[in-house]
Amino acid sequence: MRSPSSLKQEFLKRWMRGLQRCTSSSKKDMNILERKKVIKLSADLAMASARNGKTSWSRALIANASRDNDNRILAERILGPESDILIKRVSTSVGTVSCNRKIRSKKILKRSCNSVRRVRKGTHLPHQKVLAKSIAKRLVQKRTQILKRLVPGGEFMDELSLIEETLDYITYLQAQVDVMRCIASATELKNRNND
Amino acid sequence: MEPNLGTIARSISIRPNREETGLESLQFREEIHRLMIVPPENGSSFTALLELPETQAMELLHSPHSDKGVTVPLSGVPLHGINDDHKSYLPSFNGNLTFPSNKVLIERAAKFSVFASGEHSPETSSVPSDSSANLEKVKSEPADTDSNPNSSQLLVSDPTVNIKNQRSEKRKEREKKGKGCTKKTKIEISQDAEKLPYVHVRARRGQATDSHSLAERARREKINARMKLLQELVPGCSKISGTALVLDEIINHVQSLQRQVELLSMRLASVNPRIDFNLDSLFAPESGSLVDSNFSSMVSPLLWPEIPFNGNRQQHQQQWNFDALHRPLWGREEDSHTFITMENSLLSYDSANSASLHSNQLKMEL
Repeated sequence: MRSPSSLKQEFLKRWMRGLQRCTSSSKKDMNILERKKVIKLSADLAMASARNGKTSWSRALIANASRDNDNRILAERILGPESDILIKRVSTSVGTVSCNRKIRSKKILKRSCNSVRRVRKGTHLPHQKVLAKSIAKRLVQKRTQILKRLVPGGEFMDELSLIEETLDYITYLQAQVDVMRCIASATELKNRNND
Repeated sequence: MEPNLGTIARSISIRPNREETGLESLQFREEIHRLMIVPPENGSSFTALLELPETQAMELLHSPHSDKGVTVPLSGVPLHGINDDHKSYLPSFNGNLTFPSNKVLIERAAKFSVFASGEHSPETSSVPSDSSANLEKVKSEPADTDSNPNSSQLLVSDPTVNIKNQRSEKRKEREKKGKGCTKKTKIEISQDAEKLPYVHVRARRGQATDSHSLAERARREKINARMKLLQELVPGCSKISGTALVLDEIINHVQSLQRQVELLSMRLASVNPRIDFNLDSLFAPESGSLVDSNFSSMVSPLLWPEIPFNGNRQQHQQQWNFDALHRPLWGREEDSHTFITMENSLLSYDSANSASLHSNQLKMEL
Protein backbone atom coordinates (compact mmCIF):
# COMPACT_ATOMS: atom_id res chain seq x y z
CA MET A 1 0.00 0.00 0.00
CA ARG A 2 1.36 3.33 -0.95
CA SER A 3 0.20 5.62 1.75
CA PRO A 4 1.26 9.21 1.34
CA SER A 5 3.18 9.27 4.59
CA SER A 6 5.23 6.22 3.82
CA LEU A 7 5.81 7.60 0.38
CA LYS A 8 7.16 10.79 1.86
CA GLN A 9 9.35 8.92 4.27
CA GLU A 10 10.80 6.81 1.56
CA PHE A 11 11.37 9.80 -0.62
CA LEU A 12 13.05 11.78 2.12
CA LYS A 13 15.30 8.91 2.99
CA ARG A 14 16.50 8.39 -0.52
CA TRP A 15 16.83 12.02 -1.23
CA MET A 16 19.03 12.68 1.76
CA ARG A 17 21.12 9.70 0.96
CA GLY A 18 21.57 10.83 -2.58
CA LEU A 19 22.49 14.32 -1.52
CA GLN A 20 25.05 13.05 0.90
CA ARG A 21 26.64 10.87 -1.64
CA CYS A 22 26.79 13.76 -4.00
CA THR A 23 28.21 16.35 -1.70
CA SER A 24 30.67 14.08 -0.03
CA SER A 25 32.48 13.51 -3.26
CA SER A 26 32.56 17.01 -4.62
CA LYS A 27 34.89 19.20 -2.68
CA LYS A 28 34.40 22.53 -4.31
CA ASP A 29 31.55 24.86 -3.65
CA MET A 30 28.88 25.04 -6.22
CA ASN A 31 27.03 28.10 -7.20
CA ILE A 32 23.37 28.39 -6.64
CA LEU A 33 22.30 27.05 -9.96
CA GLU A 34 24.38 23.97 -9.62
CA ARG A 35 23.06 23.40 -6.21
CA LYS A 36 19.53 23.74 -7.38
CA LYS A 37 20.19 21.34 -10.13
CA VAL A 38 21.69 18.84 -7.77
CA ILE A 39 18.86 19.17 -5.36
CA LYS A 40 16.24 18.73 -8.01
CA LEU A 41 18.04 15.91 -9.66
CA SER A 42 18.54 14.02 -6.48
CA ALA A 43 14.93 14.51 -5.56
CA ASP A 44 13.77 13.22 -8.90
CA LEU A 45 16.04 10.28 -8.82
CA ALA A 46 15.15 9.48 -5.28
CA MET A 47 11.54 9.20 -6.15
CA ALA A 48 12.19 7.39 -9.34
CA SER A 49 14.32 4.81 -7.66
CA ALA A 50 11.72 4.40 -4.99
CA ARG A 51 9.34 3.28 -7.64
CA ASN A 52 11.91 0.77 -8.67
CA GLY A 53 11.18 0.92 -12.28
CA LYS A 54 7.58 -0.04 -12.04
CA THR A 55 6.16 3.06 -13.53
CA SER A 56 7.04 4.46 -16.85
CA TRP A 57 7.70 7.99 -15.74
CA SER A 58 10.27 6.87 -13.24
CA ARG A 59 12.09 4.95 -15.88
CA ALA A 60 11.96 7.88 -18.20
CA LEU A 61 13.34 10.17 -15.52
CA ILE A 62 16.26 7.92 -14.87
CA ALA A 63 16.85 7.40 -18.54
CA ASN A 64 16.84 11.12 -19.18
CA ALA A 65 19.17 11.72 -16.32
CA SER A 66 21.68 9.20 -17.46
CA ARG A 67 21.55 10.29 -21.03
CA ASP A 68 23.50 13.53 -20.99
CA ASN A 69 27.01 12.83 -19.99
CA ASP A 70 27.48 15.60 -17.52
CA ASN A 71 24.44 14.54 -15.59
CA ARG A 72 25.26 10.93 -15.83
CA ILE A 73 28.08 10.90 -13.37
CA LEU A 74 26.06 12.90 -10.93
CA ALA A 75 23.10 10.63 -11.36
CA GLU A 76 25.14 7.54 -10.88
CA ARG A 77 26.64 8.91 -7.78
CA ILE A 78 23.29 9.89 -6.40
CA LEU A 79 21.73 6.60 -7.10
CA GLY A 80 24.49 4.97 -5.25
CA PRO A 81 25.68 1.44 -5.34
CA GLU A 82 22.56 0.02 -6.90
CA SER A 83 22.73 2.44 -9.77
CA ASP A 84 24.11 -0.03 -12.27
CA ILE A 85 21.30 -2.44 -11.70
CA LEU A 86 18.76 0.29 -11.91
CA ILE A 87 20.15 1.83 -15.05
CA LYS A 88 20.41 -1.52 -16.69
CA ARG A 89 16.84 -2.25 -15.85
CA VAL A 90 15.81 1.10 -17.15
CA SER A 91 17.62 0.68 -20.42
CA THR A 92 16.05 -2.69 -20.99
CA SER A 93 12.65 -1.24 -20.36
CA VAL A 94 13.40 1.61 -22.68
CA GLY A 95 13.69 -1.03 -25.32
CA THR A 96 10.10 -1.88 -24.65
CA VAL A 97 9.23 1.67 -25.45
CA SER A 98 10.05 1.08 -29.06
CA CYS A 99 7.91 -2.04 -28.90
CA ASN A 100 5.16 0.10 -27.51
CA ARG A 101 5.53 2.34 -30.46
CA LYS A 102 5.03 -0.54 -32.83
CA ILE A 103 2.04 -1.69 -30.92
CA ARG A 104 0.74 1.81 -30.91
CA SER A 105 0.98 2.18 -34.64
CA LYS A 106 -0.93 -1.03 -35.04
CA LYS A 107 -3.57 0.30 -32.75
CA ILE A 108 -3.77 3.47 -34.76
CA LEU A 109 -4.36 1.45 -37.88
CA LYS A 110 -7.04 -0.54 -36.21
CA ARG A 111 -8.67 2.53 -34.84
CA SER A 112 -8.73 4.23 -38.21
CA CYS A 113 -10.51 1.24 -39.69
CA ASN A 114 -13.05 1.38 -36.92
CA SER A 115 -13.65 5.06 -37.35
CA VAL A 116 -14.26 4.57 -41.02
CA ARG A 117 -16.81 1.94 -40.23
CA ARG A 118 -18.42 4.06 -37.60
CA VAL A 119 -18.62 7.08 -39.84
CA ARG A 120 -20.68 5.12 -42.27
CA LYS A 121 -23.08 4.10 -39.58
CA GLY A 122 -23.19 7.43 -37.92
CA THR A 123 -24.18 9.47 -40.90
CA HIS A 124 -27.71 9.67 -39.71
CA LEU A 125 -26.75 11.99 -36.90
CA PRO A 126 -27.70 15.60 -37.21
CA HIS A 127 -24.90 17.74 -38.37
CA GLN A 128 -24.49 19.79 -35.25
CA LYS A 129 -23.97 16.76 -33.12
CA VAL A 130 -21.32 15.42 -35.39
CA LEU A 131 -19.61 18.74 -35.49
CA ALA A 132 -19.69 19.16 -31.76
CA LYS A 133 -18.36 15.70 -31.25
CA SER A 134 -15.50 16.19 -33.59
CA ILE A 135 -14.61 19.48 -32.00
CA ALA A 136 -14.68 17.96 -28.57
CA LYS A 137 -12.56 15.10 -29.78
CA ARG A 138 -10.02 17.45 -31.19
CA LEU A 139 -9.87 19.39 -27.97
CA VAL A 140 -9.32 16.25 -26.00
CA GLN A 141 -6.62 15.14 -28.38
CA LYS A 142 -4.84 18.43 -28.02
CA ARG A 143 -4.98 18.20 -24.28
CA THR A 144 -3.64 14.71 -24.28
CA GLN A 145 -0.76 15.86 -26.39
CA ILE A 146 0.09 18.49 -23.85
CA LEU A 147 -0.21 16.03 -21.01
CA LYS A 148 2.06 13.66 -22.83
CA ARG A 149 4.67 16.30 -23.01
CA LEU A 150 4.35 17.08 -19.34
CA VAL A 151 4.60 13.64 -17.89
CA PRO A 152 8.08 12.28 -18.40
CA GLY A 153 8.13 9.35 -20.72
CA GLY A 154 4.60 9.93 -21.75
CA GLU A 155 4.98 10.44 -25.44
CA PHE A 156 4.83 6.85 -26.40
CA MET A 157 1.96 5.68 -24.34
CA ASP A 158 -1.60 5.11 -25.22
CA GLU A 159 -4.32 6.99 -23.42
CA LEU A 160 -5.05 4.42 -20.79
CA SER A 161 -1.53 4.05 -19.53
CA LEU A 162 -1.04 7.75 -19.85
CA ILE A 163 -3.80 8.37 -17.40
CA GLU A 164 -2.39 5.84 -14.99
CA GLU A 165 1.02 7.35 -15.24
CA THR A 166 -0.39 10.78 -14.62
CA LEU A 167 -2.10 9.52 -11.50
CA ASP A 168 1.10 8.16 -10.17
CA TYR A 169 3.10 11.15 -11.21
CA ILE A 170 0.74 13.55 -9.53
CA THR A 171 0.97 11.70 -6.24
CA TYR A 172 4.71 11.73 -6.51
CA LEU A 173 4.85 15.43 -7.27
CA GLN A 174 2.58 16.19 -4.37
CA ALA A 175 4.72 14.21 -1.98
CA GLN A 176 7.85 15.85 -3.27
CA VAL A 177 6.43 19.32 -2.88
CA ASP A 178 5.31 18.65 0.65
CA VAL A 179 8.59 17.24 1.78
CA MET A 180 10.65 19.95 0.16
CA ARG A 181 8.50 22.64 1.61
CA CYS A 182 8.95 21.20 5.07
CA ILE A 183 12.67 21.01 4.78
CA ALA A 184 12.91 24.45 3.31
CA SER A 185 10.89 26.08 6.04
CA ALA A 186 12.78 24.14 8.68
CA THR A 187 16.15 25.25 7.43
CA GLU A 188 15.02 28.80 7.06
CA LEU A 189 13.62 28.80 10.53
CA LYS A 190 16.79 27.36 11.88
CA ASN A 191 18.92 29.90 10.10
CA ARG A 192 16.74 32.67 11.37
CA ASN A 193 17.07 31.40 14.89
CA ASN A 194 20.77 31.05 14.63
CA ASP A 195 21.27 34.62 13.51
CA MET B 1 7.31 -0.21 -2.97
CA GLU B 2 3.93 -1.74 -3.12
CA PRO B 3 2.46 -2.38 -6.48
CA ASN B 4 0.98 0.71 -7.89
CA LEU B 5 -1.97 1.27 -10.05
CA GLY B 6 -0.11 0.39 -13.18
CA THR B 7 0.84 -3.03 -12.02
CA ILE B 8 -2.60 -3.55 -10.68
CA ALA B 9 -4.12 -2.69 -13.97
CA ARG B 10 -1.68 -4.91 -15.77
CA SER B 11 -2.34 -7.67 -13.40
CA ILE B 12 -6.02 -7.31 -14.06
CA SER B 13 -5.51 -7.99 -17.67
CA ILE B 14 -3.38 -10.98 -16.90
CA ARG B 15 -6.05 -12.51 -14.68
CA PRO B 16 -4.29 -12.87 -11.42
CA ASN B 17 -5.90 -13.73 -8.16
CA ARG B 18 -8.93 -11.53 -7.96
CA GLU B 19 -9.09 -10.93 -4.35
CA GLU B 20 -5.52 -9.97 -3.92
CA THR B 21 -5.55 -7.28 -6.47
CA GLY B 22 -8.85 -6.14 -5.15
CA LEU B 23 -7.40 -5.78 -1.73
CA GLU B 24 -4.31 -4.06 -2.95
CA SER B 25 -6.13 -1.59 -5.02
CA LEU B 26 -8.49 -1.26 -2.09
CA GLN B 27 -5.80 -0.05 0.07
CA PHE B 28 -4.32 2.17 -2.54
CA ARG B 29 -7.52 3.86 -3.37
CA GLU B 30 -8.47 4.26 0.19
CA GLU B 31 -5.74 6.76 0.42
CA ILE B 32 -6.76 8.76 -2.49
CA HIS B 33 -10.50 8.63 -2.58
CA ARG B 34 -13.20 8.84 -0.09
CA LEU B 35 -15.16 5.77 0.37
CA MET B 36 -18.30 5.54 -1.60
CA ILE B 37 -21.05 3.12 -1.40
CA VAL B 38 -22.04 0.86 -4.14
CA PRO B 39 -24.23 -2.12 -4.57
CA PRO B 40 -22.90 -5.32 -5.93
CA GLU B 41 -23.37 -6.53 -9.37
CA ASN B 42 -24.00 -10.05 -10.25
CA GLY B 43 -24.03 -12.08 -13.30
CA SER B 44 -27.40 -13.20 -14.39
CA SER B 45 -29.45 -14.32 -17.20
CA PHE B 46 -31.68 -11.52 -17.96
CA THR B 47 -32.64 -12.54 -21.38
CA ALA B 48 -35.80 -13.66 -19.72
CA LEU B 49 -36.42 -10.11 -18.73
CA LEU B 50 -36.11 -8.86 -22.20
CA GLU B 51 -39.55 -9.70 -23.29
CA LEU B 52 -41.15 -8.25 -20.26
CA PRO B 53 -42.26 -4.68 -20.13
CA GLU B 54 -40.25 -2.43 -18.00
CA THR B 55 -42.36 -2.39 -14.92
CA GLN B 56 -42.48 -6.13 -14.72
CA ALA B 57 -38.80 -6.28 -15.27
CA MET B 58 -38.23 -3.98 -12.40
CA GLU B 59 -40.45 -5.99 -10.19
CA LEU B 60 -38.53 -9.05 -11.03
CA LEU B 61 -35.47 -7.09 -10.33
CA HIS B 62 -36.42 -6.17 -6.87
CA SER B 63 -38.08 -9.31 -5.68
CA PRO B 64 -34.96 -11.40 -5.56
CA HIS B 65 -33.37 -8.57 -3.75
CA SER B 66 -35.78 -8.65 -0.92
CA ASP B 67 -34.87 -12.21 -0.22
CA LYS B 68 -31.27 -11.49 0.08
CA GLY B 69 -30.36 -11.04 3.61
CA VAL B 70 -26.94 -9.89 2.90
CA THR B 71 -26.07 -7.09 5.12
CA VAL B 72 -23.01 -5.26 4.20
CA PRO B 73 -21.11 -2.87 6.37
CA LEU B 74 -21.41 0.79 5.82
CA SER B 75 -18.66 2.84 4.46
CA GLY B 76 -17.39 3.75 7.83
CA VAL B 77 -16.12 0.30 8.58
CA PRO B 78 -12.39 0.02 8.92
CA LEU B 79 -10.42 -1.86 6.42
CA HIS B 80 -10.00 -5.13 8.19
CA GLY B 81 -13.71 -5.31 8.72
CA ILE B 82 -14.16 -4.76 5.08
CA ASN B 83 -11.82 -7.54 4.22
CA ASP B 84 -13.71 -10.04 6.26
CA ASP B 85 -16.98 -9.05 4.81
CA HIS B 86 -15.43 -9.00 1.46
CA LYS B 87 -14.63 -12.65 1.68
CA SER B 88 -17.94 -13.68 3.06
CA TYR B 89 -19.81 -11.48 0.70
CA LEU B 90 -18.45 -12.77 -2.49
CA PRO B 91 -20.00 -16.19 -2.51
CA SER B 92 -23.38 -14.72 -1.89
CA PHE B 93 -23.12 -12.83 -5.12
CA ASN B 94 -22.67 -15.60 -7.46
CA GLY B 95 -25.98 -17.25 -7.18
CA ASN B 96 -28.10 -14.23 -7.33
CA LEU B 97 -30.24 -13.15 -10.10
CA THR B 98 -29.29 -9.75 -11.18
CA PHE B 99 -27.70 -8.42 -14.19
CA PRO B 100 -24.31 -7.00 -14.63
CA SER B 101 -24.42 -3.44 -13.63
CA ASN B 102 -23.41 -0.86 -15.97
CA LYS B 103 -24.50 2.31 -14.46
CA VAL B 104 -20.99 3.52 -14.70
CA LEU B 105 -21.22 3.28 -18.42
CA ILE B 106 -24.24 5.48 -18.55
CA GLU B 107 -22.90 7.94 -16.11
CA ARG B 108 -19.71 8.31 -17.91
CA ALA B 109 -21.41 8.53 -21.20
CA ALA B 110 -23.61 11.23 -19.83
CA LYS B 111 -20.78 13.14 -18.35
CA PHE B 112 -18.20 12.84 -20.99
CA SER B 113 -20.10 13.50 -24.09
CA VAL B 114 -17.05 12.96 -26.18
CA PHE B 115 -16.72 9.47 -25.01
CA ALA B 116 -20.36 8.74 -25.12
CA SER B 117 -20.85 6.03 -27.59
CA GLY B 118 -24.59 5.84 -27.69
CA GLU B 119 -26.77 7.63 -30.08
CA HIS B 120 -29.64 7.01 -27.81
CA SER B 121 -29.86 6.64 -24.13
CA PRO B 122 -30.96 3.41 -22.66
CA GLU B 123 -34.44 3.66 -21.42
CA THR B 124 -34.17 2.74 -17.84
CA SER B 125 -35.64 4.47 -14.94
CA SER B 126 -34.07 5.06 -11.67
CA VAL B 127 -35.68 3.51 -8.70
CA PRO B 128 -34.04 4.32 -5.44
CA SER B 129 -34.23 1.39 -3.18
CA ASP B 130 -33.26 1.51 0.38
CA SER B 131 -33.00 -2.07 1.23
CA SER B 132 -29.90 -3.02 2.96
CA ALA B 133 -29.51 -5.90 0.63
CA ASN B 134 -28.10 -5.79 -2.83
CA LEU B 135 -29.27 -2.76 -4.63
CA GLU B 136 -29.80 -2.94 -8.23
CA LYS B 137 -30.93 0.26 -9.69
CA VAL B 138 -32.21 0.71 -13.08
CA LYS B 139 -31.41 4.24 -13.81
CA SER B 140 -32.61 6.41 -16.57
CA GLU B 141 -30.03 8.13 -18.55
CA PRO B 142 -30.38 11.69 -17.55
CA ALA B 143 -29.35 14.64 -19.55
CA ASP B 144 -25.75 15.51 -19.31
CA THR B 145 -26.39 18.31 -16.92
CA ASP B 146 -28.52 16.18 -14.70
CA SER B 147 -26.18 13.32 -14.38
CA ASN B 148 -24.00 14.88 -11.76
CA PRO B 149 -26.59 15.95 -9.23
CA ASN B 150 -28.45 12.77 -9.90
CA SER B 151 -25.54 10.57 -9.21
CA SER B 152 -24.54 12.46 -6.14
CA GLN B 153 -28.08 12.20 -4.88
CA LEU B 154 -28.24 8.54 -5.41
CA LEU B 155 -24.90 8.20 -3.80
CA VAL B 156 -26.05 9.84 -0.68
CA SER B 157 -29.31 8.00 -0.46
CA ASP B 158 -27.74 4.71 -1.05
CA PRO B 159 -27.01 2.78 2.05
CA THR B 160 -24.70 -0.06 2.36
CA VAL B 161 -22.56 -2.06 0.15
CA ASN B 162 -18.93 -1.69 0.26
CA ILE B 163 -17.49 -0.40 -2.89
CA LYS B 164 -14.39 -2.41 -2.64
CA ASN B 165 -16.26 -5.64 -2.65
CA GLN B 166 -17.73 -4.32 -5.77
CA ARG B 167 -14.48 -3.74 -7.43
CA SER B 168 -13.15 -7.19 -7.06
CA GLU B 169 -16.51 -8.59 -7.92
CA LYS B 170 -16.60 -6.53 -11.03
CA ARG B 171 -13.23 -7.79 -11.99
CA LYS B 172 -14.65 -11.25 -11.95
CA GLU B 173 -17.50 -10.08 -14.02
CA ARG B 174 -15.14 -8.51 -16.40
CA GLU B 175 -13.46 -11.73 -17.13
CA LYS B 176 -16.75 -13.38 -17.79
CA LYS B 177 -17.75 -10.78 -20.23
CA GLY B 178 -16.71 -11.79 -23.64
CA LYS B 179 -17.61 -10.93 -27.10
CA GLY B 180 -20.39 -13.39 -26.76
CA CYS B 181 -22.38 -11.46 -24.24
CA THR B 182 -25.93 -10.87 -25.11
CA LYS B 183 -26.32 -8.13 -27.55
CA LYS B 184 -29.20 -5.90 -28.42
CA THR B 185 -30.26 -5.49 -24.87
CA LYS B 186 -30.95 -2.42 -22.92
CA ILE B 187 -28.31 -1.52 -20.52
CA GLU B 188 -29.27 -2.08 -16.96
CA ILE B 189 -27.35 -0.06 -14.58
CA SER B 190 -26.95 -0.40 -10.92
CA GLN B 191 -26.02 2.18 -8.46
CA ASP B 192 -22.37 2.56 -8.80
CA ALA B 193 -20.75 5.86 -8.55
CA GLU B 194 -17.14 5.15 -8.17
CA LYS B 195 -14.23 4.83 -10.32
CA LEU B 196 -13.77 1.31 -11.46
CA PRO B 197 -10.76 -0.04 -13.11
CA TYR B 198 -13.06 -1.46 -15.73
CA VAL B 199 -16.69 -1.68 -16.44
CA HIS B 200 -18.87 -4.40 -17.66
CA VAL B 201 -19.76 -3.50 -21.16
CA ARG B 202 -22.90 -4.37 -22.95
CA ALA B 203 -23.97 -3.46 -26.35
CA ARG B 204 -26.63 -0.88 -26.45
CA ARG B 205 -29.71 -1.19 -28.44
CA GLY B 206 -29.12 -0.65 -32.07
CA GLN B 207 -25.40 -0.30 -31.72
CA ALA B 208 -22.73 -2.12 -33.54
CA THR B 209 -22.01 -5.32 -31.80
CA ASP B 210 -18.95 -6.60 -33.53
CA SER B 211 -15.91 -7.32 -31.54
CA HIS B 212 -14.09 -4.22 -32.58
CA SER B 213 -16.64 -1.80 -31.31
CA LEU B 214 -17.07 -3.80 -28.16
CA ALA B 215 -13.40 -3.61 -27.53
CA GLU B 216 -13.47 0.05 -28.31
CA ARG B 217 -16.26 0.61 -25.89
CA ALA B 218 -14.52 -1.38 -23.21
CA ARG B 219 -11.43 0.63 -23.72
CA ARG B 220 -13.32 3.85 -23.52
CA GLU B 221 -14.96 2.81 -20.33
CA LYS B 222 -11.63 1.97 -18.84
CA ILE B 223 -10.39 5.37 -19.77
CA ASN B 224 -13.40 7.00 -18.22
CA ALA B 225 -12.91 5.09 -15.02
CA ARG B 226 -9.35 6.26 -14.78
CA MET B 227 -10.37 9.79 -15.56
CA LYS B 228 -12.68 9.67 -12.64
CA LEU B 229 -9.83 8.65 -10.42
CA LEU B 230 -7.81 11.54 -11.69
CA GLN B 231 -10.69 13.86 -11.09
CA GLU B 232 -10.79 12.90 -7.49
CA LEU B 233 -7.09 13.34 -7.10
CA VAL B 234 -6.88 16.79 -8.55
CA PRO B 235 -8.60 19.26 -6.27
CA GLY B 236 -11.55 21.03 -7.70
CA CYS B 237 -11.97 18.71 -10.58
CA SER B 238 -14.88 16.65 -9.46
CA LYS B 239 -17.43 19.25 -10.31
CA ILE B 240 -16.28 19.66 -13.84
CA SER B 241 -17.94 17.62 -16.49
CA GLY B 242 -16.44 17.00 -19.83
CA THR B 243 -13.19 15.40 -20.61
CA ALA B 244 -11.50 18.38 -22.18
CA LEU B 245 -12.03 20.60 -19.17
CA VAL B 246 -10.97 17.91 -16.78
CA LEU B 247 -7.82 17.36 -18.76
CA ASP B 248 -7.25 21.08 -18.65
CA GLU B 249 -7.41 21.08 -14.90
CA ILE B 250 -5.12 18.13 -14.67
CA ILE B 251 -2.58 19.76 -16.90
CA ASN B 252 -2.71 22.93 -14.86
CA HIS B 253 -2.25 21.01 -11.69
CA VAL B 254 0.74 19.08 -12.99
CA GLN B 255 2.33 22.24 -14.29
CA SER B 256 1.82 24.06 -11.04
CA LEU B 257 3.29 21.18 -9.08
CA GLN B 258 6.32 21.08 -11.30
CA ARG B 259 6.79 24.80 -10.95
CA GLN B 260 6.52 24.48 -7.20
CA VAL B 261 9.21 21.86 -7.21
CA GLU B 262 11.47 24.17 -9.16
CA LEU B 263 10.86 27.04 -6.80
CA LEU B 264 11.38 24.94 -3.74
CA SER B 265 14.61 23.48 -4.98
CA MET B 266 15.79 26.99 -5.71
CA ARG B 267 14.82 27.99 -2.22
CA LEU B 268 16.66 25.10 -0.73
CA ALA B 269 19.71 25.84 -2.78
CA SER B 270 19.77 29.44 -1.64
CA VAL B 271 19.30 28.58 1.98
CA ASN B 272 22.33 26.41 2.27
CA PRO B 273 25.82 27.43 1.34
CA ARG B 274 26.61 23.79 0.96
CA ILE B 275 24.11 21.14 0.41
CA ASP B 276 23.94 19.62 3.77
CA PHE B 277 20.60 19.12 5.29
CA ASN B 278 21.40 18.17 8.74
CA LEU B 279 18.02 17.04 9.78
CA ASP B 280 18.70 16.40 13.37
CA SER B 281 20.22 19.74 13.95
CA LEU B 282 17.20 21.23 12.34
CA PHE B 283 14.88 19.85 14.89
CA ALA B 284 16.80 19.37 18.04
CA PRO B 285 16.90 22.42 20.16
CA GLU B 286 14.81 24.52 17.90
CA SER B 287 11.76 22.47 18.44
CA GLY B 288 10.36 24.96 20.86
CA SER B 289 10.49 27.69 18.31
CA LEU B 290 8.76 25.82 15.61
CA VAL B 291 5.45 27.43 15.36
CA ASP B 292 4.44 25.87 12.17
CA SER B 293 2.55 22.99 13.58
CA ASN B 294 1.70 21.49 10.27
CA PHE B 295 5.28 21.35 9.39
CA SER B 296 6.31 19.73 12.59
CA SER B 297 3.63 17.13 12.43
CA MET B 298 4.63 16.16 9.00
CA VAL B 299 8.28 16.26 9.61
CA SER B 300 8.45 14.36 12.83
CA PRO B 301 7.39 11.09 11.33
CA LEU B 302 9.61 11.81 8.40
CA LEU B 303 12.46 12.27 10.73
CA TRP B 304 12.42 8.81 12.03
CA PRO B 305 13.92 6.94 9.15
CA GLU B 306 16.40 9.73 8.74
CA ILE B 307 18.41 9.25 11.79
CA PRO B 308 20.54 6.42 10.58
CA PHE B 309 21.14 8.20 7.34
CA ASN B 310 22.44 11.47 8.43
CA GLY B 311 25.30 12.27 6.21
CA ASN B 312 27.38 14.60 8.22
CA ARG B 313 28.00 12.12 10.88
CA GLN B 314 30.65 9.57 10.71
CA GLN B 315 28.69 7.02 12.58
CA HIS B 316 25.89 5.85 10.45
CA GLN B 317 25.25 2.96 12.65
CA GLN B 318 23.77 5.01 15.37
CA GLN B 319 20.85 3.05 16.45
CA TRP B 320 19.06 5.66 18.31
CA ASN B 321 16.16 4.86 20.36
CA PHE B 322 13.69 6.78 18.35
CA ASP B 323 10.90 6.58 20.77
CA ALA B 324 12.86 7.89 23.64
CA LEU B 325 14.47 10.49 21.51
CA HIS B 326 11.57 12.00 19.82
CA ARG B 327 9.00 11.67 22.42
CA PRO B 328 10.63 14.23 24.60
CA LEU B 329 11.48 16.30 21.63
CA TRP B 330 8.00 16.68 20.51
CA GLY B 331 6.45 16.30 23.85
CA ARG B 332 6.25 20.01 24.20
CA GLU B 333 3.57 20.10 21.63
CA GLU B 334 0.11 19.36 22.65
CA ASP B 335 -1.06 15.90 22.08
CA SER B 336 -4.27 17.35 20.98
CA HIS B 337 -2.80 18.12 17.66
CA THR B 338 -4.99 16.00 15.57
CA PHE B 339 -2.87 16.14 12.53
CA ILE B 340 -0.11 14.44 14.36
CA THR B 341 -2.21 11.40 14.79
CA MET B 342 -2.58 11.35 11.09
CA GLU B 343 1.00 10.33 10.65
CA ASN B 344 0.35 8.25 13.46
CA SER B 345 1.08 4.81 14.37
CA LEU B 346 4.80 5.47 14.52
CA LEU B 347 4.48 8.16 17.08
CA SER B 348 3.49 7.86 20.64
CA TYR B 349 3.84 11.05 22.46
CA ASP B 350 4.65 11.50 26.05
CA SER B 351 3.89 14.79 27.58
CA ALA B 352 6.19 14.18 30.47
CA ASN B 353 9.69 14.26 29.29
CA SER B 354 13.10 15.32 30.02
CA ALA B 355 13.60 17.32 26.95
CA SER B 356 16.86 18.87 27.91
CA LEU B 357 18.61 15.61 28.47
CA HIS B 358 17.74 14.31 25.09
CA SER B 359 18.41 17.45 23.20
CA ASN B 360 21.84 17.45 24.72
CA GLN B 361 22.26 13.99 23.48
CA LEU B 362 21.36 15.19 20.06
CA LYS B 363 23.80 18.02 20.19
CA MET B 364 26.49 15.60 21.05
CA GLU B 365 25.76 13.62 18.04
CA LEU B 366 25.91 16.62 15.78
